Amino acid sequence: MQNQFNKIMDIGEQMLICGAEVHRVEDSMQRMCSAIGFTRTDVFIITSSMVVTVYTENENFTQTRRIQSTGTNLEKLHRLNSLSRKICERTIGESELDAEIKHINATKQPPLWIKCLSYFVIAGAFAVFFGGGIVDFACAAIIGLLLCLLTELLEKAMPNKFFIKFTGSFLITLGAYAFMRLGVTNSMDKVIIGNIMLLIPGVGVINSLRDLLVGDSIAGLLRLIEALLLAFSIAAGYFLFVFLMGGRII
Amino acid sequence: MTSLIQIIVAFCGSLGFAVLYNIRGKKLALAALGGLLAWSLFLFLGLFIDSEPIRYLIVSMTVSLYAEILARALKTPATTFIIAPLIPLVPGGSLYYTMSSAFSGDLNLFIGNAVHTLSLALSIAIGVVVVAAATHFIMRLRTLKKNV
Repeated sequence: MQNQFNKIMDIGEQMLICGAEVHRVEDSMQRMCSAIGFTRTDVFIITSSMVVTVYTENENFTQTRRIQSTGTNLEKLHRLNSLSRKICERTIGESELDAEIKHINATKQPPLWIKCLSYFVIAGAFAVFFGGGIVDFACAAIIGLLLCLLTELLEKAMPNKFFIKFTGSFLITLGAYAFMRLGVTNSMDKVIIGNIMLLIPGVGVINSLRDLLVGDSIAGLLRLIEALLLAFSIAAGYFLFVFLMGGRII
Repeated sequence: MTSLIQIIVAFCGSLGFAVLYNIRGKKLALAALGGLLAWSLFLFLGLFIDSEPIRYLIVSMTVSLYAEILARALKTPATTFIIAPLIPLVPGGSLYYTMSSAFSGDLNLFIGNAVHTLSLALSIAIGVVVVAAATHFIMRLRTLKKNV
């Protein structure tokens, strides 16, 4: 039992790390534990920690997991979700379960060049979306590429979300200003907006709302506050650059 | 023509985010398509409704519905089809103009922009939440029925 409980904890932990809503993880944990045969399951999860106690007729186990960092990896989440479904339907054997978990943990994030290409396309696309021309597309896309490299570097060197958004926002303002001063583009705003779209914490806001709604108020509020602080970090990066330029850059 | 370009770049933007969030295969195509549909709907609604927040609300509800249906059909979390399609609605432009007007010295302009950004964000949020609540409620009813 202990062994199976460990595996279920691993699955729940991975779901949180992949960016699932807290509610979904609590629900899956509850279902998986009762499917395996625990008589009672108490689950408490917030975004950064999980505490689970399970009971059988004559013993009980408690485990906690500290969640250090969360990202968004929806393919892995999808696989974890199907696995938890299989466990609940009891259509999976013990040895199969091990293999499946190993297989899921090997799910790769997109490689760096794909990430950079996405940043390139997104930044360019939204510069055009908000009314820029082909030149703005090019400027925004190039800055997007740099932003991707910067983010990747900072995630390794200094994994603090707020700092990453702050520096990113500073970089894109600097980049757009440089392109304007060089005379490449007239619409610095479009170039900046295209890149800001890459920084806005959309997933955080949506997940926090879904959690708040179903009654996970602590988890929801934590995520909401984090998203707000991230938005402030974006503004702070922009403000710093403008202050350095003497309060006016247009 | 401008609308067509906007719809195409909305698709590219949603596609880009879907790739970043590691959505794969058929789900990737459906998530990006959602972005295209969302913005098309937004532009179409513009023919009848002037108020941006109301259009945002309707689009966000439609996208959430699209996501819940696809999520049930493909047995995957609804988040997959909510986040990428809603990307074109994210008020990045409005947020930027709020920030830049903070330096304009015109307090009314700044407050106006800030309120506009917040109202757009709230509209999206309310749309998502209403549909999520409705689905949650319906699923609960179903389980209750089964157990009785």
